[in-house]
Amino acid sequence: MTAVVSVEGLRKRYRRRDPWAVDGVSFALEPGQAFGLLGPNGAGKSTVVKIIAGLLRPGEGRVQLFGSDPGNPAARKDLGFAPEDPDFPKFLRATEVLDYFASLLGLDEDERKRRIPETLAFAGLDKERRQIRQFSKGMKQRLGIAQAILGRPKLLILDEPTADLDPLGRRDVRALIDQLKVSGVAILLNSHLLSEVELVCDTVAILAKGRVLKEGTMAEVVPEGRTLEDVFVELVQANTPPRDQLPSFITDQDKP
Amino acid sequence: MNGTFAVARYTLVELSRRRILLVFFIIGAIGIALIGFGLKVFSGAFSSVVISGPNGTAPDPAKLQRAFELGFVNNLIDVLGFFALLIAFAIGMTVIYHDLESGAAVAIFSKPVSRAAFTLGKLAAAIVAMIAIVGVLSIEARLLMLLFGTGGLGVALWVETVAQVANALTIMLLVMALSTWMNNIVAAIVAFVYNAMAGFVVLLHSQLAAGYLGDNQVLKIGLNIAYWLVPHPLMSDAKRQIALAQYDLFSSINQGAPPGSKAPTADQIVAGIPGASGAGDIIWWVFVVCLFAGLVYYAVRRRQV
Repeated sequence: MTAVVSVEGLRKRYRRRDPWAVDGVSFALEPGQAFGLLGPNGAGKSTVVKIIAGLLRPGEGRVQLFGSDPGNPAARKDLGFAPEDPDFPKFLRATEVLDYFASLLGLDEDERKRRIPETLAFAGLDKERRQIRQFSKGMKQRLGIAQAILGRPKLLILDEPTADLDPLGRRDVRALIDQLKVSGVAILLNSHLLSEVELVCDTVAILAKGRVLKEGTMAEVVPEGRTLEDVFVELVQANTPPRDQLPSFITDQDKP
Repeated sequence: MNGTFAVARYTLVELSRRRILLVFFIIGAIGIALIGFGLKVFSGAFSSVVISGPNGTAPDPAKLQRAFELGFVNNLIDVLGFFALLIAFAIGMTVIYHDLESGAAVAIFSKPVSRAAFTLGKLAAAIVAMIAIVGVLSIEARLLMLLFGTGGLGVALWVETVAQVANALTIMLLVMALSTWMNNIVAAIVAFVYNAMAGFVVLLHSQLAAGYLGDNQVLKIGLNIAYWLVPHPLMSDAKRQIALAQYDLFSSINQGAPPGSKAPTADQIVAGIPGASGAGDIIWWVFVVCLFAGLVYYAVRRRQV
């Protein structure tokens, strides 16, 4: 089966003197697979997904999206990307944003008329008439997911998709991922919410300081009787300096 | 092509909702109206006062009327140029910068649209918006001219309006390109300083050409080099025609001036005022516009979001 995404020996740093933000990451993702990319803040997860989405250039290594360079616009035709902390042209309305993006996806007018109202209804934004600048973070996140699924992607990248969502929104996103997996869509999920990743992902990779610490199927990574969180904390703590020291003004009981 | 059209279309929708552009447009429209009506009231009041030339004769009312027309047209050219520049800054500072800084570009660039199509769409929208806004202000100005007449400068004024838009376009492209690299306010300041320096160089060059700066070879070579490093503002013959018309008007009023008084000749007056841009200047403008548009594309292409 042809990989939807293949990443080989990927390295990236933002400035020449900076340490590697991503250092030798390799993985492949096949249709219908849900892959979880986990790691503490600054581990390089968002950098990896931005390279796959053609937004950043890789420093070294090889990235292929549907067999092509992600920098090639045609390679992104079947990609849906819901970025972390999404934003949109702030003077447009949700319907206009989706119409704009549907045009970029090359959808014809009939298809746009069919998909946009349904997508807005799924995102709970069908009655929203305000401009994006008046949207809350949660509303922008829902619109971010809506625009990502609008083109019926074969690969859906979700970067912290539920960070600003309420419990109902999280449940909807989980249901969406399950449904898309069944229909053969590959999912790449970046999330801090380990319980969520455990629920929806088949395979995971745990990153720290740009390197993959562990990768495999959920059964390979999480031994029987333990949780993903146990494994994650153990691996990350072993690879990063301890930081459980609370500030002295918090721990000092005697002083006011 | 679909991508370019979509980017252009929704950028225009966004621009039409930006309050800063609306504010500049309203101020421009009110400013032009005030100049028009103010001059009309002033000319009416002025004409009723008996004035006389040095020989005690009252000026010809028709000539006086033409002086007001020319004054109005002259002011109008300056006001239109000023607002075209303001609007160029307002559009250039926001049209790409906000997408990049807000993070909207992340969602846009993950779609199957090339950076070239995105840049083309943005450029097309910015140019259309500027032409539309300055065009409406020009139409308002022409309507106001029904109060005065155009002083016989109808065609020159249209050419001047086109030249103002063309000049504003170069500065808008520069601001767009710079704001892709840096903060948009810093970009506007850099472009403003560059524009002022370019204007100064062009002015010095025209003074040199008129022979006002002597025959210093080093200065000549230096100014000639500097002149071809900056955009040359395009202009019509309007300013020159206005100066000449005003000269004719006032020289005929002053026909009875005492003998021996040395008034400058028409040639001397015209020599210090730049005339209509020639083919060389227009070709240079096209080159500068292509260069700045290329810079915008290069900046957008290099930009990692």
